[in-house]
Amino acid sequence: MRKTFIALALLFIASLAGLAFGTSDVANVWQIIFNPFTDTTSISHQIVWELRGTRIAAAILVGASLGIAGTLAQGSTNNPLAEPTILGTSAGAALGVLLGVLSNLVEIGSVGAVLFAACGALLVTTLVFSLAHSALSLITVGIGVSAIVSALVGLTLTAVNRPDARSISFWTLGSFALVTPSDLLILAPILLVGAFAAWKLAPRLDLLSLGDAAVRHIGQRPHRIRFQSFIVLSLLVATSVSLVGTISFLALAAPHIARYLTGPKNSLVVANSALIGALILLVADIASRSVVPPYELPIGLLTSLIGAPILIATLKRGKDVWR
Amino acid sequence: MISITNLSVARGKRTIVDNFSATIASGSITAITGPNGCGKSTLSQAISGDLKYQSGEITIGGRELQTITLEEQAELRSVVEQNRNYWLSFTAREVISMGQSEADLARIDGVMQRLQITEYADQSVTTLSGGQAQRVELARALIRDTPIYIFDEPLSAQDSQSKARIIEEFQALQRAGKTIIVIAHIDRQALTWCDQIIDFTQN
Repeated sequence: MRKTFIALALLFIASLAGLAFGTSDVANVWQIIFNPFTDTTSISHQIVWELRGTRIAAAILVGASLGIAGTLAQGSTNNPLAEPTILGTSAGAALGVLLGVLSNLVEIGSVGAVLFAACGALLVTTLVFSLAHSALSLITVGIGVSAIVSALVGLTLTAVNRPDARSISFWTLGSFALVTPSDLLILAPILLVGAFAAWKLAPRLDLLSLGDAAVRHIGQRPHRIRFQSFIVLSLLVATSVSLVGTISFLALAAPHIARYLTGPKNSLVVANSALIGALILLVADIASRSVVPPYELPIGLLTSLIGAPILIATLKRGKDVWR
Repeated sequence: MISITNLSVARGKRTIVDNFSATIASGSITAITGPNGCGKSTLSQAISGDLKYQSGEITIGGRELQTITLEEQAELRSVVEQNRNYWLSFTAREVISMGQSEADLARIDGVMQRLQITEYADQSVTTLSGGQAQRVELARALIRDTPIYIFDEPLSAQDSQSKARIIEEFQALQRAGKTIIVIAHIDRQALTWCDQIIDFTQN
């Protein structure tokens, strides 16, 4: 519990730092931060609260979504290596959005794009799971199917002759640069619903860790638990992917770090992996726009650079969380 | 009564159980024995409802097993599988409690005490020995109140003292009118506490 509070305090401090630091220097920045409702029309206020504030909120919401998605991926497949990128969920979501955008049915950042992404994510995740017959083959099949779907996304982007193709390409690499305040209105409710659903599924994911037969022996259906998890996982990943693109690694790392903090109980892992995911992505986003201003570094690379050492350190210290 | 008639079970293209028949009386302890790899666990999984069979039938109280819903099967039988791999570091008490009803949980302390789990109840299952983990799985089944209990190799990792204590548990279940099926590859002489021994290899 103490470690959770420390992570929560760090998230608060990182949020303040995110408001204070960025590609441009803002005069009296702390005064603006601690007086959010005064002089709201000034450019400094708009930089701090509208531009940086939106990014911070988006990083927290996307990080939390991916953290929970990772917990669902690992819990439902009983596999510590499972995560949306490996299960094909992210690639499926990207393909779904791309098909929707290229057929002129939806625009990036719209609710329609989220629905296209969710359908793609769910289809590819279910396909990967149905083709796999063991924990190891799940990873190999997942990598294979992901590679095919990602290649299809890449080839389509290369072949397409549209003025907005560049922004679509930029989006597939993962970026918060295109996030708008209206995106938060899509992200926040879906995260809330997803987090609640994941928390309700958590005790059944605990049971699933004993194997499918143990679940059946007490009268529950493992495939139903798994499919419900895939739906929530797909919705969370689809929302993130359709708004900020693919951010890999975070969904793998956050649940492992959360288990180190709280132990294996999935109801606690859901909450803590959301917290850890939000913290890592927020720090990565601050670093991406503060390290070499005015340039912005790719968020995905910084997420790995910050998250990986924490993951390795926690796995070394808490070695009996996964056998 | 459990009645198995001309049962054939295949895994892929390979037939593992071929035309097997047996009758298990209610309130009895029945051992199904045979050497390693002869298909005892496959038979156990078929009787447990975990594996679909290609031909023949298994009836429980006159009802064909494959027509009984999963929820009803859970009310009918408790199962202990031969192998269990724990992935997560839940405590022994948490593993025994998972998914169990309130009524079952009321029995947890008594069962843990009788199986000598209490001393490692709060220890992570990933750190337990094979024998300790096997007793945790036995406890998961024993806290449930069902008419039938199916145990696949329940004594294989136990020392003689623990074996005697577990056999006493089986006998107490039998006195309470329960039907017990034990899959084992131990000698017939060591199964004197059973009412019926079915040699699987002769079927």
